[in-house]
Amino acid sequence: MGYSGVRGGQEAIAAAERLARRDRLGGTSRWLELDQVTGRLGLAVDRVMGEAGLWAPELAARAIRQSRGDLLEAAQLLRAHRSTLPRLAYSSPVPAVALRPVRRIAPAYRNPPGGQVLGATDDYTPRILDLTDEDTARATAPPPRRPATAGAPVVAPDPTVPPVGLPPAGLLADRRDPADPDPFDITRAPARPGVPRSARLTAMARAETGSLTHLWYLVTQAPRNAQPEIPLELRRGHLPLRIEHPFTGSPVTVAGVRVSEARTVRPDARPHPDGSRFDIGYGLCLGDNEAKALAMAGLDLLVHRDKTTNRLEQRVLTALDGPELAGYLEHLKLPHYVDFRSIVDRLRALQAPDPEEGL
Amino acid sequence: MSSTPTRERRCELLAAAAHEEIVPLAERLLADGALPEPTVLKSPETGMVVLQVREPVEETRFYLGEVLVTECSVEVAGVPGWCMRPGDDRVAALSGALLDALAAAGGPATAEIDALCAAVAERHASQDAAEWADVTATTVVFEELT
Repeated sequence: MGYSGVRGGQEAIAAAERLARRDRLGGTSRWLELDQVTGRLGLAVDRVMGEAGLWAPELAARAIRQSRGDLLEAAQLLRAHRSTLPRLAYSSPVPAVALRPVRRIAPAYRNPPGGQVLGATDDYTPRILDLTDEDTARATAPPPRRPATAGAPVVAPDPTVPPVGLPPAGLLADRRDPADPDPFDITRAPARPGVPRSARLTAMARAETGSLTHLWYLVTQAPRNAQPEIPLELRRGHLPLRIEHPFTGSPVTVAGVRVSEARTVRPDARPHPDGSRFDIGYGLCLGDNEAKALAMAGLDLLVHRDKTTNRLEQRVLTALDGPELAGYLEHLKLPHYVDFRSIVDRLRALQAPDPEEGL
Repeated sequence: MSSTPTRERRCELLAAAAHEEIVPLAERLLADGALPEPTVLKSPETGMVVLQVREPVEETRFYLGEVLVTECSVEVAGVPGWCMRPGDDRVAALSGALLDALAAAGGPATAEIDALCAAVAERHASQDAAEWADVTATTVVFEELT
């Protein structure tokens, strides 16, 4: 499809921008501070950072405020800002065991080593709209977490809370790749079917949460995927950002991020190539976003299993990016009257009586 | 008296320190003349570090995303200093690099910088411990109904 440039209406556009700005910043409501967004709407901030592919809580809060809470637009704003920033370094590869957990549940096991650590969750709380009046809600708000008393013995987080083990030996195909290929960078080269799995994992980690969870739900409900999917483990926690010190070459932790991680398994119901083992999938995304991590793990598994076609892989790589889909939607609102007029002309031509008819 | 951390550990703690902790100290040391005239080798630059993860299924690497950081390099009396911090606070990154160089040079301000690092380390250990105490209180043992 071709597009024709148009011009004009500068005053009207400026007036429209003023109206939008008034909706965003005007009115009688108090100024929305960035720390209110990061502190009270943390899941929205996490979601925007994950979908933009950039861990930057304050910038994400700015994007949410600017977009008036439209998270798709906020991710687009942050992703666009990201494209203006230089890359300063690549971190050292951080393994999953480096995650310092603040929540770990293992649905596949009753009592895994280290226990089921529920962490902060509403999973076991009825989903009921809280209609507590404002004064009572303010008065009963819990205080901020207090650091341990000065001088009191400090109990360090237990690094022995292990990732839950895989199913007993022999029940899971060994997929370790000793070649350790360089990761595929989807921000530098287009990710199309046939790319390495590292590209899929990055694409899903940056995917729009709703699109990813919907695709997983759609595919997992298909009759061919009727075998039960059971998460081995779901974790949230802190992951360090380590780089090489420029003078000594030794690792140094310069920052940290919060992540959600999931590992999930399905038995393979087909006798071939090996119906006696589990397939496994892995999900990891920035921030607190358990639904995204679980859906990512499920899709990682299903794409691996879908060896005969690349249909699911194609959808994972091309249909889940938030800024891409938002951009396409947005462009529909721009003037299309030249295209429309040409289509109208063509349809009229088709409907016009054939001059040779009746000769 | 605080013990002197390794160079890497000092960088970690200066990266984790608050703006209010390191900027006033660096400004005071500059004003006192405790800092020889520094040379900025690399002005504070805000950019990204790619977070590379090794996943456990194939044990291969992938890029999880990027992290916003600010980096700065300086030299004080021939001793280089470096700082990379999360976020886009350029003044704090410059201050961190200055304090790193000064501590590496072993001048009279080293004890003060070590004390700041010790305070940051203690605060973070305390916060981590408090978080962990909250988390472990949610550990549950599921019973099977028979």
